[in-house]
Amino acid sequence: MQTPDRLNRYIETQRQKDFERQFHLGWEQYETWEEATVGERADASHTFTVADDDVASYNRACGETDPLYVDPEYAGVHSPTGELLQHPIFVTAVAFYCIGSSGIGSWIRTPGARNPGQQIEINEPFGVGEVITTTITTRQKFVQRGKHYLTMFMEFRNQDGVLKATWDCSLILPATRADVGRFVHA
Amino acid sequence: MNISNPSPPHPVAPRFGEIETGTELPAIELCYSQPVIDRYALASLDMNPVHTNEEWAARAQVFGMPETVGHGMMTMSSLASVVSRAWGPVSANGGSIRFVNATFTKPVRVGETVVAKGYVKKKHHHGEGRNWVEVKVEARDTSGDVIGVADVGYNLPD
Repeated sequence: MQTPDRLNRYIETQRQKDFERQFHLGWEQYETWEEATVGERADASHTFTVADDDVASYNRACGETDPLYVDPEYAGVHSPTGELLQHPIFVTAVAFYCIGSSGIGSWIRTPGARNPGQQIEINEPFGVGEVITTTITTRQKFVQRGKHYLTMFMEFRNQDGVLKATWDCSLILPATRADVGRFVHA
Repeated sequence: MNISNPSPPHPVAPRFGEIETGTELPAIELCYSQPVIDRYALASLDMNPVHTNEEWAARAQVFGMPETVGHGMMTMSSLASVVSRAWGPVSANGGSIRFVNATFTKPVRVGETVVAKGYVKKKHHHGEGRNWVEVKVEARDTSGDVIGVADVGYNLPD
């Protein structure tokens, strides 16, 4: 109900087709600001196997048209990596896929959340075929000027344990499940 | 797509020794129309209705206004694109983006045209193979208000 059907016309990948697009579905299981425990560390519930079409779709959504970003065949010959150039913020799709709708970090899906800013470090681009695991540490929660901030540190590693990227992710959240519910039922 | 052109791999980043602080990077522009935001929602897998569902956004007023807005991560992407389009997320001569630290200062309303531009703010001298620069990037909406700023770290070839 929450995500309009018109988005279906823009689906470009099997992952987008299969992903749960109803943002509020299962919201009762989302971790909340009130429940999050600083210091808790765990792997996110899903892994992300990187595919060309994931990368190309993110690149296109950012306005990229250069064939180095959107044409795998061309990029295979001309790009420095032999793969599509990867937008530096592509990690967003990896995180949202891996975290899913329950468990540690699922507050990233909170209705009513506001985004104050983010910090992403990139060691090297994700490679096509790599299986990415996201490890999450709940870093900090505090109240400032009446706003409830929650921060988690995400580490993205491939199947060989190589650290590809990190994301220090902060959001301003509704504090309690009842507060979240007010947005769900708005 | 014609791939028979024997041009060398690209893009190519400037060399650390040749670049000066204050060097400006070309501006980028993107219209945050609702279809563009919808596409970003799918590509990022962030389907928060504050970005895609006008009726819900009007009722919830997450940002104090009755309309959908662009994703913060979309703003961050526009900020990062200033550097990645100029020099490449990785370059053919050994350059690469090392970090993007972004702060968002104003929600982006549907229909706004965002223009982002940046300049080399600081050179970090750490020795051969370890030098990098910090690029300051700023994005503004159609009315000229700053919607986000970022520091982008980039490893440059010597």
